[in-house]
Amino acid sequence: MKVLLIEDNKELAASVHDYLAREGYICEVSYTVNDAQEKLHLFQYDCILLDIMLPDGNGLALLEFVRSENIQSGILIISAKNALDDRINGLESGADDYLTKPFHLSELHARLRAIFRRKKLDGTNIVTFNEFILNTDTLEASVNGTVLDITRKEFDLLLYFLVNKNRVLSRQSIAAHLWGDYTDDLSNFDFVYQHVKNLRKKISAAEGTDYIDTVYGLGYKFNSAKE
Amino acid sequence: MKIVSKFTMWYLCISLIAMLIGGVFAYYQVRNGINNAETERLKNYNDIIAEQIRTGNAPDKYMRGRPVEIKILGKDAPITTAEVHQYTYYNPDIKHRECWLSVKSFYKINDETYSISSYNYVTKANEILMGLLSSFICIVALSLLFVIISGSVISKLILAPFYHTVKTIQTFSIKSKQKIQLPKTGTKELNELNVFLKKMTDKAVDEYAALKEFSENASHELQTPLAIIRSKMELLVESDITEEQAALIADMQNAIEKLSKINRSLTLLTKLENEEYDATKDIKFCRSAKDSLSAFSDLMEVKGICLHRQIDSNVTVMLNPALADILLNNLLSNAIRHNLPENGQIDVLLTKDKFCIKNTGNPPNIPTEDLFRRFKKVNQSGESIGIGLAIVKQICDLNKFKIRYTFEEGWHIIEINFRPISSSSKLLQNDERTLHPEIQL
Repeated sequence: MKVLLIEDNKELAASVHDYLAREGYICEVSYTVNDAQEKLHLFQYDCILLDIMLPDGNGLALLEFVRSENIQSGILIISAKNALDDRINGLESGADDYLTKPFHLSELHARLRAIFRRKKLDGTNIVTFNEFILNTDTLEASVNGTVLDITRKEFDLLLYFLVNKNRVLSRQSIAAHLWGDYTDDLSNFDFVYQHVKNLRKKISAAEGTDYIDTVYGLGYKFNSAKE
Repeated sequence: MKIVSKFTMWYLCISLIAMLIGGVFAYYQVRNGINNAETERLKNYNDIIAEQIRTGNAPDKYMRGRPVEIKILGKDAPITTAEVHQYTYYNPDIKHRECWLSVKSFYKINDETYSISSYNYVTKANEILMGLLSSFICIVALSLLFVIISGSVISKLILAPFYHTVKTIQTFSIKSKQKIQLPKTGTKELNELNVFLKKMTDKAVDEYAALKEFSENASHELQTPLAIIRSKMELLVESDITEEQAALIADMQNAIEKLSKINRSLTLLTKLENEEYDATKDIKFCRSAKDSLSAFSDLMEVKGICLHRQIDSNVTVMLNPALADILLNNLLSNAIRHNLPENGQIDVLLTKDKFCIKNTGNPPNIPTEDLFRRFKKVNQSGESIGIGLAIVKQICDLNKFKIRYTFEEGWHIIEINFRPISSSSKLLQNDERTLHPEIQL
């Protein structure tokens, strides 16, 4: 997947770039609107990660540009401004999703994959890994051909693991992914633990490999190298 | 009381006092004038008679039947100045009190001392008083009439710019960023008021804009470094780390999580206070409630909480949809978190007029109303940041819902009344009307 990241903060851009590069994506970075426009003229991208506040202009203006140039990339807005207007304006101007800072890189990646799937850029809504087959339209997951009896949250969790294979997923990022940001609650981690436990039980019951490892006190990791 | 009525009242009071003092003064002036004139006339009369006696003429030549008393007092009687006497008596013939003035003068004529005394009836002081009184009452009545008529006409003219200012201030909204325009008037005080109001409102608008900018900037400027720390930390845990390091990183992640939640909640509160989330249309609150309940259903299941719900359909509430979600999520997550560790229960009731959520739990150790304040928690070391209910309260205040938190027999009860103000708000408006009736001008 080819991604254009438009973000004026160099440190943050470097983090995102590193994370996506490790996934094997081609990630190019623009720090300004001008530079981004130039790159969009010259190359094609599957996805655009767009910050709203840029030194030489507003990211929303760039959305207009993308639309007028008829560029077919998926667009994910990443902004510190959680102003409702921006969110609505962004989505109405053709963005596919909106993520507010500070975000988890794993969450960013999951959203990116979701846009990718929705736009059917890889032509399918099926996510597969070894014995796992997940249908993101019907929310059905099967292991070795057996359909797992899992809840919506457990499906989301499994998909989150599969998208972020071999990554340490902190409990915070899982909680934020499953329940959103606005709960003033840090004890959701207990529930993360419960959900992971249930998911593992159900996978084992269907005779799937338990790929999910616990990483010290940090969180969990979907270890694809496990046999 | 209208300003013009106040002016009229004061003017009338002052003119009444002036009239009273003037009346008394005029009464004495007139009375003394009459008495003095009469006294002078009688004195002169006495003098003429004395002259006639001195020249040897019979006094009745001039007297012509006028009542005069002439006495010879003897050689050695002293000559003093004229004595003036005034008597008032009731005359039964004409059924009227009469006033009688007599002047007694002394003369030395041919070595004999004569006293010549003459008298006359004078106009009584009471009659003057009555005349004065009726004319004063007439003057007061006339001036009252003129003052009231001219007062209402002139006050409209003079106070027109003032009412204009009042109207402008009433329609002034700090949110609209529109500075007020006040015309220059011919009155010094009004000009001062207008200049002051303009300065004040301009400052308020500027401060509000600055505050808004600050809240946006604070959010932006803090979120970006937080995003950097968080992303670097995520990359760090990917690297080869020991268990010890992992524990340190886990603590840091927790702290960052808390920090970003506090920041987000505070900026949300600021935005709520700035009234950036206006309710523009009715939303289906029953749908939001059902969605939220299903989003939390698995959490309740994990904690073994039993949920009873009774949600009426077609419940519409005027509320911003994003705020409805925040409101419900905060209340539900609170009800789950502060529930009993075992056999917990949650009751959710939604009707056309109110939303009520009850949960079992330990009794609070601080007054329940205090829990609406920021960073107030039952358990200060708990895992929550204690801002959820403050946000809920703010949302309710903003949309004029009435919220009540009580603890009864092991149940925490939060009740939100959507339409408590339909009657009282009208009352409030009426109150304002009666307080400023001139505003309708």
